[in-house]
Amino acid sequence: MKFTLHIWRQPGPEARGQMMTYRIDGITGDMSFLEMIDVLNERLIKDGIEPVAFDHDCREGICGSCSMMINGLAHGPERGATTCQLHMRSFRDGDEIYIEPWRAKAFPVLRDLVVDRSAFDRIVQSGGYVNVNTGGAPDGNSLPIPKADADKAMDAAQCIGCGACAAACPNASAMLFVAAKVGHLGSMPQGQAEQSARVRTMIATHDREGFGHCTNIGECEAACPKEISTEFIAGLNRDYIASAVKSAVKGEARGGF
Amino acid sequence: MSATSSAINPKGPRTETATANPIAWVCDYLCSSVGQKVLVAITGTLLVTFVLFHMIGNLKMFAGPESINKYAYFLKHDLGAMIWIARGGLLGCFLLHLTLALWLKSRATAARPIGYAYGGNAQATPASKTMMQTGLVVGVFVLFHLAHYTFGTVHGVPSPDGKGETNYLDLQYKMPDGKMVHNVYAMVVAGFSTPWISLVYLLCQIVLFVHLSHGIQSAFQTLGLVNRRFVKVARALGVGIAGAIVAGNFAIVIAIWGGWVK
Repeated sequence: MKFTLHIWRQPGPEARGQMMTYRIDGITGDMSFLEMIDVLNERLIKDGIEPVAFDHDCREGICGSCSMMINGLAHGPERGATTCQLHMRSFRDGDEIYIEPWRAKAFPVLRDLVVDRSAFDRIVQSGGYVNVNTGGAPDGNSLPIPKADADKAMDAAQCIGCGACAAACPNASAMLFVAAKVGHLGSMPQGQAEQSARVRTMIATHDREGFGHCTNIGECEAACPKEISTEFIAGLNRDYIASAVKSAVKGEARGGF
Repeated sequence: MSATSSAINPKGPRTETATANPIAWVCDYLCSSVGQKVLVAITGTLLVTFVLFHMIGNLKMFAGPESINKYAYFLKHDLGAMIWIARGGLLGCFLLHLTLALWLKSRATAARPIGYAYGGNAQATPASKTMMQTGLVVGVFVLFHLAHYTFGTVHGVPSPDGKGETNYLDLQYKMPDGKMVHNVYAMVVAGFSTPWISLVYLLCQIVLFVHLSHGIQSAFQTLGLVNRRFVKVARALGVGIAGAIVAGNFAIVIAIWGGWVK
């Protein structure tokens, strides 16, 4: 298969970037998108050109490292797939493919397709955890959790923090990411204790990092390689309103009324 | 001086803690992106409620001049101070909805300084992506609507003798009990007998439908009232309410245009 690739090239964080065009052939449909770029990079190195920098790690769809906008869609056209799980058979021979980094103020481009996603780390640091006293492990059955709640927590916990939600959102909002973290912990009794404070601090960090607001467009849900539902955003909003009411009525936002 | 004046930590009024500050609550909750969009959703819901009842009240056009003129007189004269509370509340909702939405939009624009070279959508509806544009058109239309019918500055009723025109607000109607009231019926008929005015109203109603078809379901989502079971119901409710408002308002304009209401 032959392709014409338009790739964003930017030598460094402060440097000016531009779209560069490369032609590539000898690609098979069974190659993953990243393998196709590997082939391109081999050829660029042979020609004495700086290879295209991109993030990747596990290449099996679970780490969330590979992040690129492919023809205007985060992780490309396949549903529920990361870029590494996208195969070239999803494209037609001779296609033109536009490859861009995630675009958001909170995700500054470091080089080519690599962006700094530590904004997500700071959001998690501000509340995406539960405080537990270490000591002897409690009995596994001492805290009964309904299966439905465990399933819901697992649905949200699938989030791999790749940033596709914020990249795909027309408002560059990372609300689905925050909602997944808040929904994951809030579905469990261990997380409920701090849920009110968690939503407030995580949203405050989300805003401070420079992400936009959610206007319920739903592009995040479609882009998410783990197909996390925007229903978690509704849950986040519900918890946020509850936190505001608790804080106003009780003078503080802690678990329980 | 009392004996306690030499105490290192003297008794007195309670000491203030950080959580005792109501301003901090407002900054924490209402200044965040979620807090602001909740306010946009609440004010939007109040505005939709007004528009819905405004449309239902307008349907009294079909019940004849006496019915709608009596209703208009009741709203304007029998409610006393309530009408000013309602007007103040509406204005407050309108301004809050507008300013917060524009403020959020400016933050969202700043959140993506460099756009994508290749634009693409996986499933976004045009309505959801044009809320600001449709909202601004509706906002300008509301001002036009006020200038047209409330202040009577856009258009007048041509006098029967062909010379000059009568201001909308000077139209009078004699109730069966002999009381003279403002003739809202004649005013509406005169307005929608003019093709360009009817056209402006019909076009703006379509824009309003587009705005509300996303806005109503979006308010449900923002207020946390939907889940996987009811998300489709919220969507249907949004299109249904928006459709009902537009259909009711369309009916009045078309009925007058078509000569069924004279």
